[in-house]
Amino acid sequence: MSQIMENPKGGCVLAGINSVLGAIDRVCPVYHSGPGCCMQTTASDQGQSGHKHACFVSGVSLPSSNMLEKEVVFGGTDKLRTTIQGSIDIIDADAYFVLTGCTAGIIGDDVASVTEEFLEKGYPVYPIEAPGFIGDSNLGYETVWNTFLDKIIEPDLPKDDKLVNIFGIIPYHDPFWSGTLEEIDRILSRLGLKVNTFFTKGQGIDTIRKCSSAALNIIINPWLFKGPASKFESKFGVPSLRIPGLFVGATDTTRFVRKVAEALDLDKDLVEKVIRDEEEYVYKYLSQSIGVLSWKRFAVVSDANNAVGFTRYLANDYSFTPVLVIVSEPVIRPDDKERIIREIEDLEYARPPKVLFLTEQYEINQAIRDEEEEITLLVGSSNDREIALEKDIQFILGSFPMSERLIFNRTYAGYRGSLTFTEDIYDNN
Amino acid sequence: MSNVTYSGVRESVPGRLNDLGSTGKKVSEDYKKGCLKRADRSFAQGLQCQQINSMAALMSLEDSVFISHSPQGCVGCAIMAVDMYRVGQIHRGVKHVKNPRLIVTNLDQKNVVFGGEKKLREAVQKAVERYSPKLAFVFASCASGIIGDDIDAICGDLQREYPDTLIIPIHCEGFKSKICASGFDAAFISINKYILKNNKVPKQKGLINLFAPTTVSYADQKEMERMLRLLGAEVNYIPFYSSLEKIRKIPAAEASTSICKVFADEFMKTLWEDYEIPYSHTVMPIGIRNTDKWYRGIAKVIGKENEVEEIISREHERIEPLVKKIRDRLQGKRVFICGGTGRSFAAAALIDDFGMELVGLETPTYDDDAQTDIEYLNGIHKDFVVDIANMQPFEQVNLVKKLKPDAFIGVPEWAAKLGIPTTHVLDGKRPTMGYDGLLFLGNKIADQLENPGFNKKLAQHAKLPYKESWYQESAFKYITEGGN
Repeated sequence: MSQIMENPKGGCVLAGINSVLGAIDRVCPVYHSGPGCCMQTTASDQGQSGHKHACFVSGVSLPSSNMLEKEVVFGGTDKLRTTIQGSIDIIDADAYFVLTGCTAGIIGDDVASVTEEFLEKGYPVYPIEAPGFIGDSNLGYETVWNTFLDKIIEPDLPKDDKLVNIFGIIPYHDPFWSGTLEEIDRILSRLGLKVNTFFTKGQGIDTIRKCSSAALNIIINPWLFKGPASKFESKFGVPSLRIPGLFVGATDTTRFVRKVAEALDLDKDLVEKVIRDEEEYVYKYLSQSIGVLSWKRFAVVSDANNAVGFTRYLANDYSFTPVLVIVSEPVIRPDDKERIIREIEDLEYARPPKVLFLTEQYEINQAIRDEEEEITLLVGSSNDREIALEKDIQFILGSFPMSERLIFNRTYAGYRGSLTFTEDIYDNN
Repeated sequence: MSNVTYSGVRESVPGRLNDLGSTGKKVSEDYKKGCLKRADRSFAQGLQCQQINSMAALMSLEDSVFISHSPQGCVGCAIMAVDMYRVGQIHRGVKHVKNPRLIVTNLDQKNVVFGGEKKLREAVQKAVERYSPKLAFVFASCASGIIGDDIDAICGDLQREYPDTLIIPIHCEGFKSKICASGFDAAFISINKYILKNNKVPKQKGLINLFAPTTVSYADQKEMERMLRLLGAEVNYIPFYSSLEKIRKIPAAEASTSICKVFADEFMKTLWEDYEIPYSHTVMPIGIRNTDKWYRGIAKVIGKENEVEEIISREHERIEPLVKKIRDRLQGKRVFICGGTGRSFAAAALIDDFGMELVGLETPTYDDDAQTDIEYLNGIHKDFVVDIANMQPFEQVNLVKKLKPDAFIGVPEWAAKLGIPTTHVLDGKRPTMGYDGLLFLGNKIADQLENPGFNKKLAQHAKLPYKESWYQESAFKYITEGGN
């Protein structure tokens, strides 16, 4: 059940699906929906994520049946059929996914029968029947992977013990997704692994088809991907390793590297050498700017993944004082919440911060407004700037939604990203 | 009140259509002969729905809460208006920049079956408790419309419960119109019905209603206000960055005009019918010709014909040497233009100031107003391609690739990947209008033509998603007769 939401962070499930598909090269979503859904779902996620849009089609470039009154009354499957045919004729995609908007969902158009007609003719057209009203864009990521697991990924492929799949970093819902995946890829490649990020390096639907040959799924997220992970295990025999939060900085990135190395039984000497190299790289820089950043008492408003990463880096590696952490995406399952709280509270030296789960902007603002302890740094989204200005707190735009900065390959994650994060926090005022 | 109530659906106006491929000469003749038929596209790309426009039109109003009675996704495009509101505050020197108060009822599976009334009531209650707003707008959506939630009745009921907040339902269900500007009309219909209510107010001498949508930059607002003040007018700038008080002042005005052709055009007619406020509906004031035309239009309504001529000649004297410098750089260059109804035709007139040649024009609707503009353009340009389309980038790139213009004016994303120098005329953060906006735009076009390296290099690396075979087809292949 969805809640009334003030200034929501992100769109509906359709927006989430569109974001994931939009990050895969040569994959074309086809909308069976009302006339505005293409723009709305692109604007809500890609449009608030550092101004980087889908690599293939997005917004008003998305094929759409643009259902009007006639389709609402008489059904829209004829319109859908010509829309799919046109997409195949003119758009040079490797796969087409038909997405269902609220209108088609409510009137009950049989989308799957129409896509089946095309599939029978040998066209790669697949339905994802998740109308917007079933949930928010967070759901999109799992919905897409469930579709891939059911319809796209090939079974019975020989295993490659050096191949890993990365999950948990949601394209556009995390504005730093590209850079983060590139940093993860860089680190794991140094360990001699082959990495499926799926959304960088021009990887496309073929990489997805063959990802069942991986030796391990690495889920970098404290709560997402539980369902798909168990399906991966039962259907394709690929086990999963969960890293319960994004790693920012030397401490947590090294923890990540060791966990992966242990799971895959990697060469110990190589692993220790890589860790030594990478940590030295980071500390070489950090040691050249001692005392440049003033002491901060900080708050974070972010999705769970980044909330864990930001908090742990600033507290454990940079010795700032954590005051308040607000996880601003809906997390429902109690054990997921516990895992997130554990990661945020279990700090090396610092006193644990207050942890709240709030998705509503009004409640987020109230929590920061009412916080009795002093806050001098807030890492949050464009929506959270208002309260920072009101309370005269230094503000770092570090989470989704993000309108006031352009992001290509920047990341705060991993070894190198932590340096960028620290650079951004610097304030000469 | 007039006898026939305008529904707010722009297609309901006879002779107006949305899907057509033609040329300047042919479309004008066909229109005169009454041969243009309503059509559709059997394949199309996404459109902008009218709810986006309804929300964008109002989202900078003070003391207001905006409630979208919809699933969470329907406030996606609100971010554009949210951004404009935040940037607008910065431009206006506001230090503590605020978010607009946007609440979505978040209709879900259960509500789709059992109705969303309870959630709407709760949302309004939250709005009142949190912000005690003067205005609470309730926007309908495809979902709320199809499941049949009676937002008028619910709002009426809530109005009795919360007498200090005006609760205003707006019927902007996306499926009702293909023309997103319908959403502007839906907003104004509700403003008239729930705020103005045909109450007569004393006239205020010299007051002019200047209707402006959210895409007008602060620089443009200042330029428009400056021009109207030169005529001795006091400006009621609405509804962008205004308030309930300013909306209530609308009937006190002596005249009305709008910055955009499809913004408040129907509403200004209603104001004439209900309050006898004369209005000027001309063009968007972009470029010398259009700015003159716009300026003369409103001057005539307030009886300042002589004064305006004096000002115009003064402005021309100031501006023409500067325009000439730009014209020297742009003379004879071939242009393709794509834009909304107001801006596309305004840009087409603008390029005449610079001596450029129109080769293609993409605009969302064809109607009486468009006919006037096309006849004017036919008078100064050779025959040019006309694509009546709301964006449809697949048709655009097909045409641009064939026509090979020197410059493209409009959303730059696709033409840029073909290596064509691009300029956008929709810049809500910088000047585009009036006499000064003309110079800014002209220099922007000239500079980009002179230094096209980025797009040229981009074209060597970036690929559009279309098959090569598509460029061999007619751009209008998917336009079919008999649309809705």
